[in-house]
This record gives sequence, structure tokens and C-alpha cells, in this order.
Amino acid sequence: MYTYKSGIAQIDEASGGFDAGTNILILAPPMSAADQLAYALTKPVPGEYAIVLSTNERAAEVVDAFKVAGADKRFTGVIDAITKSSTPGITDTARLMFVSSPTDLTGIGIKFSNMVETIFEGNFADGETGLFPPPIRFCVNSISTLLMYRRLEVLYQFLHVLTAKLKKIEGVGVYILNNESFDEKTLSLIKQLMTCVIEVKVEQNVNLMRIRGLPGVPGDWMKFSVSKGQVTILP
Amino acid sequence: MISTGINGLDEMLGSGIPEGSRVLYSLEPGVDGQLFMISTLSCALAKKRSCLVVLPNTTVDAFRNDVLAMYGPRPDLALVPVTFFDSVDWERIQKGSKSPEGRARELQARIRKLCREQDVDVVFVYFDLLNEEFGTDAATAIFTSVQEMEREKKITLVIEHLNLEGQQLLDHVIRDLNFDLVLAIRSSFRPFPQFNYFTIVHISWADLPVRSVPFIIGEGRIIPYIPRIVVTGPASSGKSTFVLNAADDGHSVDRRAQEGGMTTVALDFGWIRWKDFDITLFGTPGQERFDSLLPSYLGHAMGALLIIDATNADQLPRARLLIEMIARRRIPFAVAVNKSDLPGTLDPRLIRRTLAIGDEIPLYQISATRKSDVNFVLESLVDSITQFRY
Repeated sequence: MYTYKSGIAQIDEASGGFDAGTNILILAPPMSAADQLAYALTKPVPGEYAIVLSTNERAAEVVDAFKVAGADKRFTGVIDAITKSSTPGITDTARLMFVSSPTDLTGIGIKFSNMVETIFEGNFADGETGLFPPPIRFCVNSISTLLMYRRLEVLYQFLHVLTAKLKKIEGVGVYILNNESFDEKTLSLIKQLMTCVIEVKVEQNVNLMRIRGLPGVPGDWMKFSVSKGQVTILP
Repeated sequence: MISTGINGLDEMLGSGIPEGSRVLYSLEPGVDGQLFMISTLSCALAKKRSCLVVLPNTTVDAFRNDVLAMYGPRPDLALVPVTFFDSVDWERIQKGSKSPEGRARELQARIRKLCREQDVDVVFVYFDLLNEEFGTDAATAIFTSVQEMEREKKITLVIEHLNLEGQQLLDHVIRDLNFDLVLAIRSSFRPFPQFNYFTIVHISWADLPVRSVPFIIGEGRIIPYIPRIVVTGPASSGKSTFVLNAADDGHSVDRRAQEGGMTTVALDFGWIRWKDFDITLFGTPGQERFDSLLPSYLGHAMGALLIIDATNADQLPRARLLIEMIARRRIPFAVAVNKSDLPGTLDPRLIRRTLAIGDEIPLYQISATRKSDVNFVLESLVDSITQFRY
């Protein structure tokens, strides 16, 4: 089974990376480096694909962020839940798909399936590498936004289906959730769907993270920085 | 009757949906099944029905653009006036009423007013957000109460819903909310290939078994799909002729046999668009040496056809053996007695007796060279497949 490199030396050396089917929750306060961390973990390495469900940034911004992180944009797809509300006429391409709003779970589910199908069929990008099943990293750049629009129970059921599908296709999922805006019940319910939790906090302008649920990786707080898609654990 | 916009489905339902019905299109997450509702809407508009579309999750422009982008131009939707209640209207109600009860009352009043003013025949509801806001029962009641208040008008209600609760919700809708048609649109979601299918879970106006039919989306429409019908029979009974005559596009792999005639060495393939169904025919070789392959061919078949030569009684023991192999699969099958236009054909009663098949198995006397005969057999077999009680 395929193993996804995290790009973080301490994790990859200890556990080899993320097993296929791993779903990772990043619990982080606002204004932390959670987005950058999530994109660094989602950035496809050669032979892989990335799909980002963007609920708080336009597709163009996500693509730019991945470009800065050093990702090959040919292998990066975005399901944009923002742009369509202001530009109803915008049309889908194989790598950029649009849903009317973050409330549209029907549309999000369909676009996700369509994009995965395109990847499996080998029609996503030139220069397909031929790995099968194709390794897919998936990121939801904010569950928090989805929770603003939909009830917890509904979203839980939806994410339950989504995370299960990701396991079936042997992908890896990264989900950001703002841990300061929601109560313990919400956090605990969302955690149930995950195999690994990365907690992020900021102290004196220094980012710290703690990883739970990854065998062989100690659960201590570690200082880190993210630059150009590279996560560095600081001494 | 109101057409679903999918001929194959209409046939199964007995020519469509009766006026005044309650219909649920239940979508499993991730399944591209939105075209079911859009096809029904498009068809209703083409028949000059007055339609109200309730879409609290999006604006009219975004909806029209989505339909255009996903399924191509639908002239009916672009040209015929449609009444919409969209996300802007829904936000207005949300801001206007603080309590859910107040919002439900206001929404119901608004829907009733629109139905009266526009003399609405069919109401199409994107149910997802309303279900979340009011719960399934109360959200459904908003529309069914309008149906009841305007009983003489026989307003038809068609709901599309993202079903996150699975069978439990379907059971509830059938048992407690008196829906007339419940169609579940599902997906295998295997890693690859992924295939979609619809299941007629419940129908109130006909005695139809729960039936699942795969579908594909092509040319902007839903095409029910029968991925495999196996055509088998003894050697030289006319299987290749049948498959090639049935198919819009077919391929035979016949080669010259040692005995002098032509024989199939692998499989004949035929692709047919029949009554809106896409069908693939697999014609097997007839010789016994290929029998070990037959269970694999029958493995995922939705139906089978046994072809025998009406002029050759020596084939019957072999045909009986093949019937036993088909019968183990418990799939609908029929027998086509080919070359029935030639002199010296066998008596059908003798054939039934020798093959040990009862009257429940259809037996057709045909000539595989006549397209009309081939079409008749196919039509009957497709009917059997869609009606078969597994």
C-alpha cells in the first residue's frame, strides 16, 4: 500500500509518512500557520495528485499558494465553493470545479467524485505517472466554514461519507478546523472521523504543533515554521 | 402522466408519474444524479406544464448556468417561463421570521401563493436546506399541505434530496409521508470503475419489484444501461447472426471451423441503444470446450438468451445443459428458436418438454436474420430484466 510522505523529516523518519487512507485533522486557532501547514501536507510530490475543497479562498488563490509551495499545478485540482456566488457563469474544467456555495453539499460530493474519476481515468493532466490507484491528497481548507452554514449532525454525516470514500480510494485527507470557535462536542465529533490529529498553537509568535495518532511519532509540542511548502521542525 | 424525461424509466413506471403524486429523488452523496430532477423538469416544461422550482441553496442564474454547463443547453429551461423561489427569496424569509415555525408558515404561504398565481402543475424542490431547517416531516408538510389545499389542481411534487441517512430515511418517507415514488440514485463507488445506478425503491401505482438499473450520462441525459446480456446456445444455432443483427455497432470474431462453417472463437460483442437503454450483448462460442468460460460470462449478466436451431433436434440435449448453467444464476432468460422460417422445424411443445422449461420461460420462434424478430426478442427480454423478481 502507498505511503504518503509528510515532508516533515521527523515524521517520515519515525513512521515512514502517512498510510493510505489516513484522515488528518488540523486543529488550529485563527491567524496560525494552519493553512500553510495543510497545504504543505497536501502538496503533491511527483506521481501524486492533490484536490483542495476550498471554502474560504478562491481557486486562483489556492493554486497560487500551491505554486508558491512548489507544487506542479497540473496535478492540483480545486473545488471552489466561493467564486460561483459572485460569478455564476464560471464553468468547470478538469482541474477547477465550482459549486454555488459551501452549503451545497450535493454539489461538493458530485464534484469530488467527478474529479477523482477524472484522475482515475487518466484524464486529469498531461504526463500522468501511471501509479494505480493514483495517490490523491485531499484537503478541506476549512471545516469551520462548512460548520457555519450547515448543522453539525448533517456535516458529520457528510464528512463520514467523504472520509470513507477517501479510504476506499487509498487517498489521504487533511482537514482544518478552528478549535477556538467551536465547543468540545463539535471538536470531539469531528475527531471521531479522523485517524490522526495535529494540534497547532501560537505562543510568543512561535508556531507549535503536537501530533496524535501517528504510530512512532511522539506527541510532544514541537516548534515549527512553514516556508515555501516546506515544514521545518525547530529546535 | 408526467414524464420523468427518461424513456427507459417511464416504461418501467408505466408511462411516467401520475399527476398529483409525491416523488422523491434520493441522491447518495457524490453520485451525479442531479440530472434526474432536471430531466423531469425539462420534460414537464416541454409539455407546457407550469412549473415552480424551489432552490433555497442557490440563485436562479447560478442554477441555469449549472444546468447549461453540466448537461448542455436545454431549450425548454431557457425559453419557457419557469417560476423560481431561490436563495434570495429564502434569505428574505429567514430574515423576516425569527422562529422556525414562523419561517415554515411564511414559506408555505409563499409557495401556495405562487402555485395559485402561476397555476402551477408541478413543484420541484431542492430539499436539502429545508430538511435541515425544519426536519424531514415539517419540511415535507410545507409542500404536501399545499398539494392538499389545492387538491382539485392535482399538483405534482418532485423532491431532490441529498440522503445522508440512507435506507432509514427512505423507509420513513414511504411509511409515514405517503410518497408515491421513491427513486434512490446510488453509486458503487469502487475505486475504479465507479458505476451509478438507480433503484425504484417504492411505487404506489404499480406492482413493481424493487429494481436497480445502472445508468450512464451521455449527450446531457440519463441512459439506463444493461451492461451485459449473454447470448448463448449450441454451435451454429445463429448466435452471431442474432448479435450482429441486434446491434447498432457489433463485432464478431468468427473464424472458419474445421467442419467448414464459421464459428465464434472468443466472444461476439454488440452495442445497442434500445428504448433508451444502452445494452451490451455478449455472444458466447457454442462448442463444449468453451463451457468453462460460461459461468464467468454469466457472472455479471442481467439477462440471458438461449438460441437453438429449430431444424436440429440433435442440439436439444446440449441446449438443456446450457439452460441448467443459466438457471443456476437466477437471472431472467428466454429461449429463441432460430430458423423457424425454414421447413422441418421442431414442435415448440417438444422443445419445451425436452429442455424441461415451463411456460414461465418465454420461447420465441424467430429468424435471426429478420431484424423485427430480433427486436421483438430483445424488447421482451429487457421487459423481463426490468420486472424480474430476484
